[in-house]
Amino acid sequence: MFRIGRTQQPLQSLTHQFLQRCSVSGTAKGKGKDGQAKKRSKVITKKGKKSDPEDPSSKPLSRQDSEKYRLYDQCINAPTPVRYLKPKDRAREAEREKLGLLSKGRIREKEIFKKGGRQAMGVPDEPMIIGTPGLDLITLGLVDVDKIPKYELTEEDGKKLAKEYSRVLMRKHRARQAAESNLLRCKKEAIEALPENLKKAALVPDLTPFPAERFMATLTPPIEGYINKIKEAAKRSSGMEKIR
Amino acid sequence: MRRSLTLLAQSLVTKRGFCTKPEKIVASVLFERLPVVVPKIDPVVYAFQEFSFRWRQQYRRRYPDEFLDKSSSSGKGDYHIEYEPAPRITEADKTNDKKSLQRALDRRLYLLLYGNAYGSSRKPVWHFPEKVYDTEETLRKCAESALQSVLGELSHTYFVGNAPMGHMVIQPTDNAQDSGYKQFFFKSQVIATNKFKIGKCEDFVWVTKDELLDYFPEQAEYLNKMIIS
Repeated sequence: MFRIGRTQQPLQSLTHQFLQRCSVSGTAKGKGKDGQAKKRSKVITKKGKKSDPEDPSSKPLSRQDSEKYRLYDQCINAPTPVRYLKPKDRAREAEREKLGLLSKGRIREKEIFKKGGRQAMGVPDEPMIIGTPGLDLITLGLVDVDKIPKYELTEEDGKKLAKEYSRVLMRKHRARQAAESNLLRCKKEAIEALPENLKKAALVPDLTPFPAERFMATLTPPIEGYINKIKEAAKRSSGMEKIR
Repeated sequence: MRRSLTLLAQSLVTKRGFCTKPEKIVASVLFERLPVVVPKIDPVVYAFQEFSFRWRQQYRRRYPDEFLDKSSSSGKGDYHIEYEPAPRITEADKTNDKKSLQRALDRRLYLLLYGNAYGSSRKPVWHFPEKVYDTEETLRKCAESALQSVLGELSHTYFVGNAPMGHMVIQPTDNAQDSGYKQFFFKSQVIATNKFKIGKCEDFVWVTKDELLDYFPEQAEYLNKMIIS
């Protein structure tokens, strides 16, 4: 019902490789009985026999087709604000730059840097809000704004934050586990303290299902009369039910 | 011969610890309203979540808008209503009205009655809804009847399990009547209402755990173990 803005949804990248390769031998995964590398079923397109009816390089393109190909291109080579490279790859790129060879990724990185870096592409330096603008956690009062620590978007700040986060959550988890085991102990002692016939009755497990009206805790408290408004609106928008 | 037999019987009885008089058993009910609203988030946790979100956004691929529009088009029959979210801190919080169930929405509330309890004999005290065990089948039924006498009907309650969740042994005070008894607590939860009509007592409150510990100073330690937050 509430549409989350497009920028908030992380999408999966389309970088699936079509052939799985073993990381060590470089062959397709798995070896057959005679030691040869296994061949996965490939879809072989017939080359040269039937040229594409819309060949992008030769014939003049209609506007729709060029738009289509532009869209495909943008999807396949979608940019990221910060390029991810392992340290070995980064060293390699630096070496190649000294030789004067620039890869496409490196060129794009430079362009993005010229335009303003990741700040221009939508990852600000200031903290972003989590959630839709009216209903985010800060305006709802779920977090105390002044108590949030200040941090930059760097690695070591991230590591410090991660340590704190883990510490806080583990402390809470341990406290909760201790409290729950205390509960169970109290229950066991209480059952032991019962006289014999009541003890037998108490030890019978109660298998009646939980009541269906038990609500989960929500972000904001329920508003009275709201469900009627929704039902009315749904009825109105779905059109009239029976015209007799 | 008979004397030795009776001696033997008596020794057996005392060794096994049977008391000669049946112990009084009181079933009391811990009636709780579960939290209505998600609890507050620790600022450190929020900071880390926000940081990791931005860090991931850095490495995310940006796809063209026309491509994304196709996948997130609105379905047929969508309706739009203006939504003003209700505040999490209600008026009952501001006025600290202990009789209302709308206070402290992110915590559990427990019911306490003020009136003549079993153990206090004529002096009104704050106590849980309770009833002496007579001849019902199980202690849970006794507890249910206790709650029923307070609320009127049990349609909006749910008793969790057949077993008690804790017990206290109340030592006999030095009266003529030895009023030592065992008090067993049963857990039950509020289902799907906002208001209750509490009868059969002079006063009642819905309290959070800290306030509950104030009402029972001597038993605070055991109650602390028995109730989580």
